Amino acid sequence: MNKGVMMFGYITINKPELKIKDFEKYHSYYCGLCQALKKKHGVMGQATLTYDMTFLVVLLSGLYEPKEKMESHRCVAHPTKKHNMRMNDISEYAADMNILLAYHNLMDDWVDDKHLGKLSLAKLMEKDYKRLKVRYPRQAQAVEKYMEDLKACEEKKETDIDLAAGLTGRMLGEIFVYQEDEWAQNVRNLGFYLGKFIYLCDAFEDREKDRESGSYNPFLLQTEEISAREILNLMMAECAREFERLPVLMNADILRNILYAGVWVKFERAQGETKKDA
Amino acid sequence: MIYDPYKILGVAPDATADDIKKAYRALSRKYHPDANINNPNKDQAEERFKEIQVAYDRIMKDRENGNYTGSSAYGGNTYGQGSYGAGGFGAGGFGAGGYGQGTGGQNYGPFGSGNTDSSSSSYQNPEDMRRLRAAANYINAGNYREAMTVLDSIGERGAIWYYYAAVANQGLGNNIGALNAARQAVALDPGNPSYRMLLQRMEGGGIWYENMGSGYGRAAQGAGSVCTTLCWMTLLCNCCCRPY
Repeated sequence: MNKGVMMFGYITINKPELKIKDFEKYHSYYCGLCQALKKKHGVMGQATLTYDMTFLVVLLSGLYEPKEKMESHRCVAHPTKKHNMRMNDISEYAADMNILLAYHNLMDDWVDDKHLGKLSLAKLMEKDYKRLKVRYPRQAQAVEKYMEDLKACEEKKETDIDLAAGLTGRMLGEIFVYQEDEWAQNVRNLGFYLGKFIYLCDAFEDREKDRESGSYNPFLLQTEEISAREILNLMMAECAREFERLPVLMNADILRNILYAGVWVKFERAQGETKKDA
Repeated sequence: MIYDPYKILGVAPDATADDIKKAYRALSRKYHPDANINNPNKDQAEERFKEIQVAYDRIMKDRENGNYTGSSAYGGNTYGQGSYGAGGFGAGGFGAGGYGQGTGGQNYGPFGSGNTDSSSSSYQNPEDMRRLRAAANYINAGNYREAMTVLDSIGERGAIWYYYAAVANQGLGNNIGALNAARQAVALDPGNPSYRMLLQRMEGGGIWYENMGSGYGRAAQGAGSVCTTLCWMTLLCNCCCRPY
C-alpha cells in the first residue's frame, strides 16, 4: 500500500452543492496555485498540482486573509478560455509544500519500483528541493522522518491502526502549519486528523489489492471487526471540530463543503463501485 | 470584577459563532503584536491581545461543551472545569494535546480525585494502585505519553484502567484506540456515569459531524452508526460539542 507521500486527491469539493460563486473562487485558488508552481518550479512543478494543497491554500487564506492579487490567464490545460487566478503568499507556500511532497513521492517510486522515469524527474527537482529544505527545515524534516517511519511501520507490520495512520497525520499537520503563531496548534491538529483520514481512506480502498500482493495494510491485520465508515467519521469529526474553533469567515462555505461532504466523494464512489458495505 | 469573555469581545452572550469570529478578527487586527510593532504602547496592546485570545478560546470551548446557555453567567475568574457532575471532566474539547510533544492543554478535569475511583477499589495490588494514581497525575498535567507508558506497565486492567487509557489515547491523537478503550470501560462497568459520559462525547462527535454533513450534501448512509446511536440525540443537545 506504500504510496509514499500522500497525493491521493481525497480533499476535494462536493461540486453539486457548492454555490457557483464559491466554485469559481475555489477554482481561482486552484489556478493561482498552478501559476505559483509554474513561476517557481517551471512546467515540472506545474505537473505536481494537487487538490490537497489547493485545500491548504483556501484554508490558510481564510485564516490569515492575506492580500490577494487577481490575474486572468489562458493556461495550457484550457487554452480557449481565460481563467481567473487568485494569488497570495499562501499560494507560494503551498506551491513549495507541493514540491516538497512531490519530490519524495518520485524518489519513493524510484526506490520501490526502480522506475527510471521517476528518478529522472526527481533529479530535475532536486535543486529546488535542496533549496526548500533550507527554507523550510521543520516541514522538510517532517516529510523525511515520515518516509523513514512509514518504512519501519510497514516492515514491522504494525497492527495499531492509530499508529500507522498517525504517521501521515503528523506529517500533514506539520505541512499545514504556515507559521508558529496562536493558531498553529489548531491547524496542526486539523492537518493531523485529515492526514489520518486520508491514510485510512487509501488503505481501505487498497485492501483487496494488498491482500493479493501481500503488501502491508493495517486493515488486513485487524483481529476484530472494524467499521471503516465509523473510524473515518471519527477522524473527520475531530478535523471539523478543529476547523470550527478557528476564526475563519472568508472561504468558510467552501471549506465546510470540503470538510463535511467533499472528502467523502471519492470514498463513496469507491464504495459504490465495489458494492460492499464499509 | 466578574470575568465575562463576551464583554471582552464586545458581543452579546447569544451572538452567533460567526459574530464572535467577526468580533475577534476585528479586535485582533487592532491589537495583534504584528500590527503594533511601532506603537509606543505596544505592551498594553499585547496585554489586550492576550485577553482577547483567552476570551475567544473560552467562549469556543464553553459552546463546544454545551455550556452555552445564551446568558452570560460568569461567576468570577475561575478557569474551572465544566460541571460534568460525577466525572468532574475538564473543560475542553478533545486532546489539543500536541500529540506527545507534551504541550497539551489540560482538557480533562481532576482525575482520580475520588470521584471516578469507585471501581478502582477493586485494585487489590497497592503497586497497581500507585501506578494508576501516577497515570492520573500525568493525564492531569497533559502528559499523555507518560500516562500511557505507566498504564502499559499495569498488569490488571479493570474498567478504570480502560477509562484512563481512553483519555490518554485521545490526548495523543489515537482516537480509534481511545474509542475502543472507552467502550471497554463502559462494558466492564456500565453503571459508571463518567465512563458513559466519555463514550457519549466520543461517539457524539461523529453524530454531530454526520449531521453537519447533511447540510453540505453528504450522501446520507443509513449503514453508519447513526441509527444505533439515535437515542443519544437528546443527550447531544446538552453535552456535546456543537459549535452552533
